Amino acid sequence: MTIFNQNDPKRLTEDGVREDLQRQPHIFMKLAENALTVAESLRDNYFKNTASFVAALRRAIHAAGQGQRTEAILETANIPRLDWEMLRDEVVTFIDGGVGNVQISSQIPILLRVGSYMVRTGERNLAEREHFGYYPVILGDLEGGSKERSDFIDIVRITAELLGGLSALQRTPDLRVLMFHGPLVYLMSGYAGHTPFTEKDIDLFLDQYAPDRELGQNLKDEFLEQAKLDIYPQMTDRSDEWSERRIFEPLSWIAFLYRKLIQEAKIRNPRPVIVGVVERGKLREFSEKKLLERVFRGLRQKGNEDYFNKMYGRTDLKSPKNLLDRLGYTDTLLLAMILEPGQMSETWDISKYAGLREGNISLPGEAGTSRVNYAPLKSSQIGFPDIQGCYLHVSETTEPIRIEVFKELGGNQITEAAGRTYLYSRMLPGYGFPIGLDIADKYAHVPNWLTNAYGKLIKHQLGVSLQSGEISDAQMRRILIQAIYMTHRDWLFRPNN
Amino acid sequence: MSSTANVDKNSKYVGTIIGESTSREFRLAVAHETIREQDIIAVDAELRHPDGNQPPEQIRVWAKVQRIERLNPLFPSEAGHELAETRTDPFDTILSLSREMVTAVCQVLGAEPIDGKSGGKLDHLRYPPQPATRAYRPDSSDIARVVLGDLQEKQKRALDIATLSNRPEVDVLVDGHSIVTRHLAILAMTGAGKSVTARRIIEQLAKKNYPIVIFDPHGDYTGLSEVDGLKTRVKRYYAQFPIFEEDSETIAEIVNTLGYQLTDTMRSRFSDLFRAATSFIVDDPKEMKERTEWLAKAIGRPEIADYGVNPNMWLVANLAEAGELALRNDNGDENKAKLVELGWPGFDKYTKTDGRTLEGIKKRTYRAASALSRMEKTNQIVAKSAEPLPVDRKELVKYGQISIIALAGYTGDFQATIYSLIADTIFEARVTGELRLPTLLLLEEAHNFAPARAMTPAEHRAISTTKQIAQEGRKFGVGLILVSQRPSRLDETTLSQANSFIIMRMVNPADQNFVRKVIETLGEDEARILPDLDVGEAILSGQLINFPVLVKIKKSESEGEREEKDAFEELEKAYKDLRNNQS
Ligand SMILES: Nc1ncnc2c1ncn2[C@@H]1O[C@H](COP(=O)(O)OP(=O)(O)O)[C@@H](O)[C@H]1O
Ligand SMILES: [Mg+2]
Repeated sequence: MTIFNQNDPKRLTEDGVREDLQRQPHIFMKLAENALTVAESLRDNYFKNTASFVAALRRAIHAAGQGQRTEAILETANIPRLDWEMLRDEVVTFIDGGVGNVQISSQIPILLRVGSYMVRTGERNLAEREHFGYYPVILGDLEGGSKERSDFIDIVRITAELLGGLSALQRTPDLRVLMFHGPLVYLMSGYAGHTPFTEKDIDLFLDQYAPDRELGQNLKDEFLEQAKLDIYPQMTDRSDEWSERRIFEPLSWIAFLYRKLIQEAKIRNPRPVIVGVVERGKLREFSEKKLLERVFRGLRQKGNEDYFNKMYGRTDLKSPKNLLDRLGYTDTLLLAMILEPGQMSETWDISKYAGLREGNISLPGEAGTSRVNYAPLKSSQIGFPDIQGCYLHVSETTEPIRIEVFKELGGNQITEAAGRTYLYSRMLPGYGFPIGLDIADKYAHVPNWLTNAYGKLIKHQLGVSLQSGEISDAQMRRILIQAIYMTHRDWLFRPNN
Repeated sequence: MSSTANVDKNSKYVGTIIGESTSREFRLAVAHETIREQDIIAVDAELRHPDGNQPPEQIRVWAKVQRIERLNPLFPSEAGHELAETRTDPFDTILSLSREMVTAVCQVLGAEPIDGKSGGKLDHLRYPPQPATRAYRPDSSDIARVVLGDLQEKQKRALDIATLSNRPEVDVLVDGHSIVTRHLAILAMTGAGKSVTARRIIEQLAKKNYPIVIFDPHGDYTGLSEVDGLKTRVKRYYAQFPIFEEDSETIAEIVNTLGYQLTDTMRSRFSDLFRAATSFIVDDPKEMKERTEWLAKAIGRPEIADYGVNPNMWLVANLAEAGELALRNDNGDENKAKLVELGWPGFDKYTKTDGRTLEGIKKRTYRAASALSRMEKTNQIVAKSAEPLPVDRKELVKYGQISIIALAGYTGDFQATIYSLIADTIFEARVTGELRLPTLLLLEEAHNFAPARAMTPAEHRAISTTKQIAQEGRKFGVGLILVSQRPSRLDETTLSQANSFIIMRMVNPADQNFVRKVIETLGEDEARILPDLDVGEAILSGQLINFPVLVKIKKSESEGEREEKDAFEELEKAYKDLRNNQS
């Protein structure tokens, strides 16, 4: 399949890299874009310099592979080759959230929906084989969360997706793979400071998630108990009040759900693979902390610290961070040029929680703010779990994708996840992304029904009313939600018979 | 509509209206396998009067499923290629196979009051049915009523020829009146069931005593006479080619083709000879006997005196021989004088050279006569009849009679000419009023009688006859049923005069396109299913029916001459007979 030949000496030259780039227009475009944004002095020879930089990286990796170099700068491996035959009778669930907008002058998100697609491979009875689920949340209904913030919708989506995943795991005793669209855990510090959800909000979420009320109630109670005993006291000096009001501080609640997920997975045998798959990621942590760190170390070792400054005719390219800042490289961009299709990078511990520190928060219905400390959530006891990840290069025409797993679930997670992600993605070679997530995405996508079929006024009214929670009549609300989904996608919601 | 009807409407649910709906077309989201193309379905609706004073009217909108679209939007073609590449069974993968979208595109047929009190007559719908309305499968009796439409009150006109293809319990009656007055075309490829359909219609019309004349090139209709109740009413005729109704040019042309080429000199003498032959036959039997005896003697063929002469090609040949002998024999003066007396123009001026010319004509004409006889013989065998066409061709048209004119055995031009002569006479007689009864002419292999591009004089004549009847027949009570397996070779003007159509299986794209072009009532989707129709299935379209429907034609009581038999079984049977006879 691959056009790269490991042993082709040309690969290791600047010309070889250029030739490869010409066959990968998406990378070429990225570089062209970068060339326009970097400093003028770097612009002229951007392509040439990138090519010679990449060639140097390839040579170093090659040398390590040949034993000519003691310290590897990047360990690559072939992605484990699985075939469908081997994976027969596996239950796999894909989770993806989508946002419904109303097009007025600006986009008002109306509701959020998480879609799930569960499939049992090898099963020929369609009713047994596939199950679709959806979990809509009308944003206007929520009392908590800081609606004025543009990332309000994200914390709602993260929560809903997580509940969708937890629900899938709990409902499916033989679930083998749980795959999320996007990072398994987001860079949480960005979401700090949102007004806590009320219990009523959580009930709205749980309404969709829990097969029965009791389970939902248990989940709430369990969190509130932990929050009261261990979490809130470490975060705020108003913890008594928080517990009394039964409020759900979003980050600690989300962290709790992650822990639940892991806890549930741990008691299963075999352990389900839980993985998040990220496309078009902007992360450069791997390049900065691993790849370039080793390169710089090697240069220092050889007394060659000025290598990059000479190459680019500058004086400020002294650290991986500087280099990446100035040249605009990201993990996927560099790895697209280094990893061959079918290869994966080494696994590393991704730092997700560095920014969790003190901040301000205002409680529901409260005008002022008070101090809150998010740092305790770095602890995997009461906070977020550790995450490991790696990059997979699926096909020549696509950028590498990143997969993330829970470190706590064991070393097998990443290999098992990589093999499956690769196999699932081979079904969409032009996209290079697991087709099951694509299916869940199409399913979760909230259509623009409102934009084409009805007048602007109605759209506006409907949007505003839903947004502001004005429509409280349950019947009416159901009709509206149904109306929003009344498109050619109706079939998705037809009952399984 | 009673309330119980509402209850079982649930079990008859077929789908829900989605997307944009118009008064002509709407789309239904349907469950898998619940519906078929050409199904007739209904949707209930409420129409408010614009003035708003009267209570809203409850109506039922009738529609027909034109096409069904099936799509798995979660299965990208890219994945399909990957499956093919790796020969993977999709069920072994994580691909989604369960979420197909099945959409039925429905054509609105019309609307009626919901109680069905308008008797099946459908009004134009002027306001689209409401999206999200449920569509259901109506009761058989309701379907039968709307398929029948106006015919309900005119049962006398109804012909029972078919059942609905997707609802076999529903009889489809068609309007016989428009068939016999406004022409019907039955178009399909060979073996699709045209002849069966035509016979079924004939059998039904016979019950109403309608006079019918069938031009039958293959003997497809001889079986009609074996049906109980028709036995005495079916008359089969074999066809003689009436050469003396043609001009000498035409006959010379026939001699050219069936004998050998006539030279220019021969051609110039042939018209004189033909005149002589024409005037040879007289009404007075005594005179006729005398002439015959003279002729037998003159050419030394005594058998002629025994059998008598007939107005045919043999007579022309005999006279040519008599002329030749009279000119060649030294003592032929007496016979020469006789021939002049018999009306051979300018024979007295003929020379010995003309004798050689007449010899040439003789040889060719005998040859043509024998070829023609052979055709006639074949024709007679296929017709299974010893009855020649009546001299007065108006006799073919009788109350309650089916006249079958066998044309088998004759080549195309002869068939066309025989047809033209008969059809012209009948039409003429209707125009002048000599013929009191209306009639229906059935043209099997109609492309031979109404070809799009006439190549020969005989075809030119046939097309002009057919075209005239197609255009004016309605005024004069002459109807046409055109049956053809090559519609694209049919004359367009003629075909477009037909107001009713029965279209059956058809795979040739040229024919499909032609049919689609000429028949306004045939929709694109109906045209599309033509290649997939089964034997005996047909789309009825035009005035014979309330709206186009897909039907299964009921089998005719009569059998065709050419019902398929196993060739090898037939061989064994024949061989057994042979051995039995020998021992
Ligand atoms: N309506 C019908 N029902 C059952 N069988 C039929 C029907 N129409 C035709 N057939 C079968 O197909 C054969 C061919 O039909 P025919 O009418 O001779 O075809 P065509 O005239 O179109 O060549 C018939 O012999 C009969 O066996
Ligand atoms: Mg036939």
